[in-house]
Parts: sequence; structure tokens; C-alpha cells
Amino acid sequence: MTKPIIEVKNLAKNFGKNEVLKDITEQVDPGQVIVVIGPSGGGKSTFLRCLNLLETPTSGEVDFDGENLTTLDTKRVNELREEMGMVFQGFNLFPNMTVLENIKLAPMKVKGIDDAAATKRAHELLKQVNLDDHADAFPSSLSGGQAQRVAIARALAMDPKVMLFDEPTSALDPEMVGEVLNVMQELANQGMTMVVVTHEMGFAKSVADRVWFMADGYIQENNTPEAFFGNPQTERAQDFLSKILM
Amino acid sequence: MKKRLVLFFALVLALVTGFTAMTTTTANAATDTSLSKVQKKGTLVMGTSPDYPPYEFQATVHGKTKIVGMDVAVGEKIAKDMGVKLVVKSMSFDSLLVALQTGKVDMVISGMNPTPARRKNVDFTHTYYQGGYSIVINKSDKGIYKNKDSFVNKTIGAQTGSTMYNESKKQTSGTTVKGMTSVSDLILALQSHKIQGVAMEKPSAQAYVANNKELAAIPSDFNLSASDTSASVAFKKGSTALVAAANKSVDQIKKQNLVNKTYLPAAGKYLKTNTVNTSMFHYWKAFLTGIEYTLIITVCSVFFGFIIGVILALARMSQGGAIKTGLRWLATAYVEFIRGTPMMVQVMFVYFGLGLIVNLPALTSGIIAISLNSGAYVAEYIRGGINSVDDGQTEAARSLGMSSGKTMRFVVLPQALKNIWPSLGNEFITLIKDSSIVSIIGVSELIFQSNIVRSDTYRGVAPIAVIMVLYFILTFTASRILNYFERRMQHD
Repeated sequence: MTKPIIEVKNLAKNFGKNEVLKDITEQVDPGQVIVVIGPSGGGKSTFLRCLNLLETPTSGEVDFDGENLTTLDTKRVNELREEMGMVFQGFNLFPNMTVLENIKLAPMKVKGIDDAAATKRAHELLKQVNLDDHADAFPSSLSGGQAQRVAIARALAMDPKVMLFDEPTSALDPEMVGEVLNVMQELANQGMTMVVVTHEMGFAKSVADRVWFMADGYIQENNTPEAFFGNPQTERAQDFLSKILM
Repeated sequence: MKKRLVLFFALVLALVTGFTAMTTTTANAATDTSLSKVQKKGTLVMGTSPDYPPYEFQATVHGKTKIVGMDVAVGEKIAKDMGVKLVVKSMSFDSLLVALQTGKVDMVISGMNPTPARRKNVDFTHTYYQGGYSIVINKSDKGIYKNKDSFVNKTIGAQTGSTMYNESKKQTSGTTVKGMTSVSDLILALQSHKIQGVAMEKPSAQAYVANNKELAAIPSDFNLSASDTSASVAFKKGSTALVAAANKSVDQIKKQNLVNKTYLPAAGKYLKTNTVNTSMFHYWKAFLTGIEYTLIITVCSVFFGFIIGVILALARMSQGGAIKTGLRWLATAYVEFIRGTPMMVQVMFVYFGLGLIVNLPALTSGIIAISLNSGAYVAEYIRGGINSVDDGQTEAARSLGMSSGKTMRFVVLPQALKNIWPSLGNEFITLIKDSSIVSIIGVSELIFQSNIVRSDTYRGVAPIAVIMVLYFILTFTASRILNYFERRMQHD
């Protein structure tokens, strides 16, 4: 049996008196693609952000590769974050840098890779996301779909073990969703471990190994996509699925 | 005559004397080493306010501006008799005594009257010159005004803080007394009929009248004691040995009547060469020096102010443990305090106050004070700029494994800087203008230089017009350069 790469134990997170995450215990195995779905406000994004400690859990623990993030010092957390790429709903590209510079920044400043090597690697990644001809463009000139693919390339530049996607297609025009999902699917095919928060049920069905259904601060159901979409166990999940167009 | 400290400086002086009182009493108990100290360093630093011809003023000699006048001759004699070299330091009259007490200068010779009030704070030599007062009027008014009593319902001007200013107030009735810091301003006010007469010392009055055909001098008829009309050399309180040595020179000067025989005629010659050519172009070197110092002060202050501003902004935004809370509190207190006190007071405090601990040159003090001041304002701009950068930028950088320091340096600050660039540009341009404040501690920036040119040429308006244009050229050029960089940063 393989060791899980991420283990979440009794995770809870409060914002003031608002309990967003109540008690979550789950694990992610290497190479798995987890798709987290559920109604808005159910705590999906907060959960994802707790995995790389962008949000500090109120209680419980998050283990990455055997190390409990909540007990580590800032320096070690920074190191482990290198191994968890994150893609945001709003892209969060650095607007003052070109596409190429966006991708090169962290490898050069954090890993100390020299400019030539970083540039070479950046071009490879841009080819992977099909954007090498935009290397010298500034983010403001890119479409949403292009920007999100650059953001994926930027996260991949740190050679992470896990990729976290926080509603990567929610801010996109419908015709651009496909190009981003294609890149993600390719990544999954290459064996990348991924945790994806999304509303794209088609992606969940075709790419996910496991679907986690999250609502009211709990993971209500953890199942294969076939089982979850075909025969949801909980009333909460049945209710949710009945309300969305499939 | 000039002197006696203005109320405005009273606070600084009180503070300074407070400190020195503690140190000097102990020093007095031991043997007085003031003379041997001066002889050891080989120089005698004389402080003077060179806007008072023929006592002291600036003249262009072989294309170089230097301070000349009978007081400088007196200083040279004293230094020579002690076997050391004379160094002349110029500053505003109001600052002289503070400079003496804080050790910025070894002695003050600036037409200073040894009044009882001053005697409390400094030691005086015997008097080297006995003067008197005149009132300068417009020649066209000759016949209307006879003496101090002719100015009922009119206005007399006098140098602020000077003996004349106080005596004019005391010894006239129904006359308004208007105070200004420099005599050249007063003459300008006289010529533009804002005031009807200017009270000043007789030799000065004679110099002004000789150099300006529009003016005439009348006797003042003030009732004055000898101490109000005589000039002495001032030394730091307790420097008995120095005073004794200087007294030997002063006595010689008096005995041989050197002031009237040699010093005044020599000063008069400078005055003549001075006024041969009063075109502003003739003084281009003086203005160039002014521009040079204004730029040095501005550029250095912008540079250090920015660094201080970044540190303060980060301190103000730090969150967490007791140390960080303390830092935040300190930074906030600093910013509030600096913004709540006048820059002029800060400049004086750094020069005179800090001068008690380390002896800083005026230029350095000015740069320090203005940097500290600017830093407080820049900190607020930067804080606003950092807050204006979307949180998503920080999250993206942190998710890539960048530390908070690297995130700040490589991601947030460059964007914050771009957002606040127009504000920083304003600060830079404001600093070009505000650097003029350091003229009060005698840094030869534009304002200071223009005052010198004004008292040299007896022309009131032209130098002001010149520096106005010069300031505008500086600020306009600066804003063009800043706009260029702003355009280059536009990517989105």
C-alpha cells in the first residue's frame, strides 16, 4: 500500500464565529485526482487553502508527505509549499511581469536556478500549455483562458508533487473553459496528483479518481465518480445533483 | 544692532542650555582646556551671519565668493595671535549662539552686542568696536523724517531679535515696528514703501546708503547704553583661557584703532568691488552652488527617505508577537510625531540637539533631518501602495514557496511602487522646494545663496526672480523625468 501524500485529520476552520470547516478527515494518494464538488459556501475553497496553509486551520492537522504542516516553522512550510502548486480562480498573474518572467520568478528567487535554465524550462512549460508564442506578452493582453494556462505553467515551474486547483474555470468565458480543462486533463494523464475544486461535472466524471462531495463544513460523501453520479448515497448529495444540469 | 535670540528659538536654546549646563559645570571645575583644545586642532572656527555689511558680508574675490568684512578681520587677528588658522562658518544670526553652545563654532563675531541677557549664556571679550544706530529712509522722504520720533503712525523695520528691534519698540510711541530676519529684506520693504524706515547700525547704514542712491540715512537718537551699541566676540561659557587670549588681540585692535584705520576701509573696498557689477549673471556661480546643494540635499533625502519609508511602512504593517506589536507602535508614533511637528524645528533639532552628542556638519544634519521627515510621509504612501496590491498576488507568491520577505520584495513592492509613483513624484518635487528650510542652518542651497546675493548686490527682487525660475526649472525637469518612468511602467 502506498503512503498517502496528503492526510487531513479532524480539520476545522472558523472565521470568527462562523464555522466553515467542521471536522474533515480524508487522504490523497500519490497520482490520485480528487475533485471536490458541492454547493457554494460549503467550505470547498477554504478546505483547499488549508492544504497549503494559505489559511491556518483552527484545529486538526494537515500532513504533507508525512510532515504535519500545522506544527512546522515558517521556513519549512515555505519549502513544502514549493511542492504544492496552486491555481486560483482569479489567475493572480503578476501584472508587472511578462508571461516568461511570471514563470521564471519563483524558480530563480526561491530555488536559485540560473536565468538560462529557468528560461529554458519556462519555454518548455509554455509549449506544454500551448502558449509559447505569448512568452513576452504581459498578462493584461491575455484572454482568461490563456492567463489561466500561464498560471498553471507558473505553478508547474516549481516541479510540485501536488497541484491544487481552486475553481480554475469559474472566472472564464464558456468558450475558454475547454482549453484550460484540456491542459488539466493532460496533466492528470501524466500522473500528477491533483485536488480540484470545480463546478465542472463533466471534468469530474471523466478525470476524477475520487469525488468528494462537500457541504456544510463536512465531506458528506467520498466515492468514485461513477458511484457518486450514478447512485449518490446521502440525501444532501442527491438534492445537490438534482439541482444542477447534467 | 542685531541679536538676542528670538522667542522662536527659545525652546531649542533652553533645551541646549539645559544639556550644556550639566556638562559645563563639571568642565569648569577642572582646568579650562578651551585654548589648548583650539591650539591642538589648529583651527579657530568663527560663526557669523554674513548679511550685515560692512561687519560681515559675502564678496566675489577672483571669481570666488568669500565672507569678508571688519568682523572677519577681527577674527583673523585673533586666530593669528593664537597661532591657528581661522575658519569662517556662515549661518543665520538667530542660530549663532546655539551653534556656539553646541560646539559647532568656537566663537561668534557678528556685530554682536554684549547685552546682560546674552552674558548669561556666553562669555564676551572686551568690546572691539563702539557703534551707534541710524535709520535708513528713502531719499525722496528726506526732510519728512528727522529721527526716531518722526515715525508716528508710520512703520519702522528692524532685524528680528536684534537690539534695534527691541529698542525701536521701547523708545517710540505710535510707531509700528516691523521685524524681518534679514536686513536686505528690510531694505526691499523700504524701497517698496511697505515701511518708512529701517533701524540699523551706523556702519551698515553708511554702507547701504553708499551703495544705493535711492537711500538716505538719518540719526536715530535712540537712548542707548554702551553695551547696546558695542560689539564683542562671544565664546562658550566657561572658556576663560580662550577669552583671555582673545582679549589680548581685542585690546591691541582698540589701542591701535585698527577697526577704523584698517578694517573698515578694507571692507569698504570689497563693498565697492561688490557693487560694480550687480547683474544677476555676474553671480551665476553663487546660484550654481545653490542648485548644486539643493540637488544634493534633495537626491540624498529622497534616497534615504525612501529607505526609511519602506522600513517604517513594513514596521507599521507587521502583525504578531510582542516585538512586532512594539515595532508597529513605535513606527506609528514616529510617523504621527514627525507629521505633527514643523520640518524647520526638526532641522534645528537635528543640527543643534543631535549636535550635543555627535558633531554633524550642517549639510549632513540637513540631509538627516529631511530624510527622517520625508521617510514618515513616504511610509504612509508605501503603506497605501502595499494595501492597494491585491491579496491574490501575495497568495500566488506564497503558494509558489516564496517567503513573506521575498513576496514583499519581488511581487508586492514593485507593484505598490508603480501604484504610488505619482505620489512619490509629488514628494520628490515637494522636497526640492522644502530643502530650502536648511538655509536656516547655513547650508548654501538656493534660498541661502539668493539671500547672500541680495545682501551683496542690494537688489531685493532680482535674486528672488532668478531662484523662482531656477526652482521651476528643477521641479519641471524632475516631473518630466518622473513621467517618463511612469509611462515605462505602464503595462496594464
